[in-house]
Amino acid sequence: MSSSGIVFSIIAICAILGGLMMITLKKVMHMTVAMILTYFSIAALYVLLTAEFVAVAQVLVYSGGITILMVFGIMLTYHKAENRDEEKVSSFRKLITFLSVATLGIVSYFLVAPVDFVAEEIFVGDHTKAIGEILYTNYIIPFELVSILLLVALIGAVLLAKKDKEEANE
Amino acid sequence: MDLQTLLSFHWDTMMPEFIILISATVLSLIDLFIGRSFSRKFFGWASFIAVVAALVSLISLSDHGVTTILNNSYVFDSFSIVFKAILLIGTALVILMAISDKFENIEEVKSEYFYLLMTGLLGAMFMSSSGDLITLFIGLELLSISSYILVAIRKENSKSNEAAMKYIINGSIASAILLFGLSYIYGLTGSTDLAAVQQIVSTLSGTELSGLLGLSFLFIIVGFTFKIAAAPFHMWAPDVYQGASTPVAAFLSVVSKSAGFIIIIRVLLNIYAGAYSPDGQLPLLINMQNYIFTISAITIILGNAVALMQTNIKRMFAYSSVAHAGYILVPLAAVSPLLFENIWFYLLAYTVTNIGAFAVIQYVVSDENNENIEAFRGLYKRKRSMAIALLFFLISLAGIPGTVGFIAKLQIIASALANNPINITIVVIMILGTLVSYFYYFRVIAEMFFKGDRLELQPPKNEIPFNLIVVIGVCVAATIVLGLMPNLALDNFYKLFS
Repeated sequence: MSSSGIVFSIIAICAILGGLMMITLKKVMHMTVAMILTYFSIAALYVLLTAEFVAVAQVLVYSGGITILMVFGIMLTYHKAENRDEEKVSSFRKLITFLSVATLGIVSYFLVAPVDFVAEEIFVGDHTKAIGEILYTNYIIPFELVSILLLVALIGAVLLAKKDKEEANE
Repeated sequence: MDLQTLLSFHWDTMMPEFIILISATVLSLIDLFIGRSFSRKFFGWASFIAVVAALVSLISLSDHGVTTILNNSYVFDSFSIVFKAILLIGTALVILMAISDKFENIEEVKSEYFYLLMTGLLGAMFMSSSGDLITLFIGLELLSISSYILVAIRKENSKSNEAAMKYIINGSIASAILLFGLSYIYGLTGSTDLAAVQQIVSTLSGTELSGLLGLSFLFIIVGFTFKIAAAPFHMWAPDVYQGASTPVAAFLSVVSKSAGFIIIIRVLLNIYAGAYSPDGQLPLLINMQNYIFTISAITIILGNAVALMQTNIKRMFAYSSVAHAGYILVPLAAVSPLLFENIWFYLLAYTVTNIGAFAVIQYVVSDENNENIEAFRGLYKRKRSMAIALLFFLISLAGIPGTVGFIAKLQIIASALANNPINITIVVIMILGTLVSYFYYFRVIAEMFFKGDRLELQPPKNEIPFNLIVVIGVCVAATIVLGLMPNLALDNFYKLFS
């Protein structure tokens, strides 16, 4: 395995580990920290692919923005940090889930393994400029559509969180 | 790219989208700035007029010819025109229904209702006229997020909250799986433009890479079957339809489902029909046909069988819409030569009959305050016009001759058999499913016409609102006229495709 392969493996394992910890840990705060691990590992993967701009955006938006938002959300709403009742999942269900995930993994492995991937040419130049240019020319329609998507999400959040007329008057 | 190039595109073909976008934005701004005490009654009619205006502009553009903008990120072709027409008709009728939709303790309909329906429609319209995976996916998400909010809009209702929660979690997982499948396509071809993807995948035949293309097919089909509520990813549908208000349920069962089929056709036919299986013998779509076949068969069987056991009318219609998704998958499973035509006509038939049925359900359920099938007891004696209208919709959904539902089913069966006699299996399943569906549709009919003691029956408390009369009238007329003269619609279809 080449050196970059080893680095990739370490980062990939960290990313998966973060995800696993996120769903197995008990305390919400610990889950958030586990998520940060995943976000940082993914940012590291982008650096490995020489996509610096995406990596920085990943750290800023996910590790920074979204995590802080989650922490605030937990602080403001979740009063008991640990009140999850242990739900009993039958071992039959666990077995079925494991078998289907394992099947998917095995099938994917045998499909991916024989493929001889050719290394793509590494893009040299100003990433930010290249992304900006393509975003505002070829992809302007999806770009504008995303802004409507965000507007809809914003309206939805306000709509679901605000008090209704009757409640507000009380 | 300079301004000159950007302006040289035919942006006028986007007129219907612009109309929807601008009116949705303007309505939301008006909603923001007018005072709380100000009546928002006109919102419904304003958005209805906007959708009709978009439909008119779409029809006026119909002889514009094929146009693409910015590397296929917007495609204006006959396919997009005919399917957009269905989306616009469906949403216009749903908005009309929503005008008189009552919330538990609020007299007036929420104004957000209307512009969220319009943004959902906008997403669906972009899905139907996009040749780029990114635009397709964003259109799908715009539709999905608008739908999540629409389901959750009845905040006081615990059923609605539960439904919205289930919908958003399952929907996000389905979107993630779909996006993972699409990322395989981008990884294999290095392009998101469907035309470019189509060219590159045809060169992958016989290599190991076509195996990966098959894997992407499976992920993508999982994502799509969720969106059209086909088995085994249909479990959200009954809960969501029950929890959502009736117009939203109608929107999900008609517009959202149509959008799902549009994106299925766009992606599957563009990418997988041209790619070859690992042995290089068959197109990948034919090679993977068995999967669509199985999904279609399970959907028909499960949807109809479970619908038999329902006592809640909205749950029953949810399972019936699952079964209909199975029928519409049959042309894809059979790879019929008349696939476009069959799916389009079935969706049109399904739109007019299902929205009509939901309009009657909305009236009866809100009048009786009861969502069970017993709410329809003796409807014929209480409100004759409603019972007769629902009778037409139910026999059209069941596929009885003389209605549009029959023609649509007949076309699917005929062209599936004409293509390849092997398709007899799926056709038999479809016919058996239809026979089973008679039981639950006729149970409602029996409830309306033959049950209920004349003395015990109470006349309805409320008059039928004007907007529902319009919706039901249009739907009944379309069900019968298109059932007797399907060529009225099909001629326009052929004119565009010739």
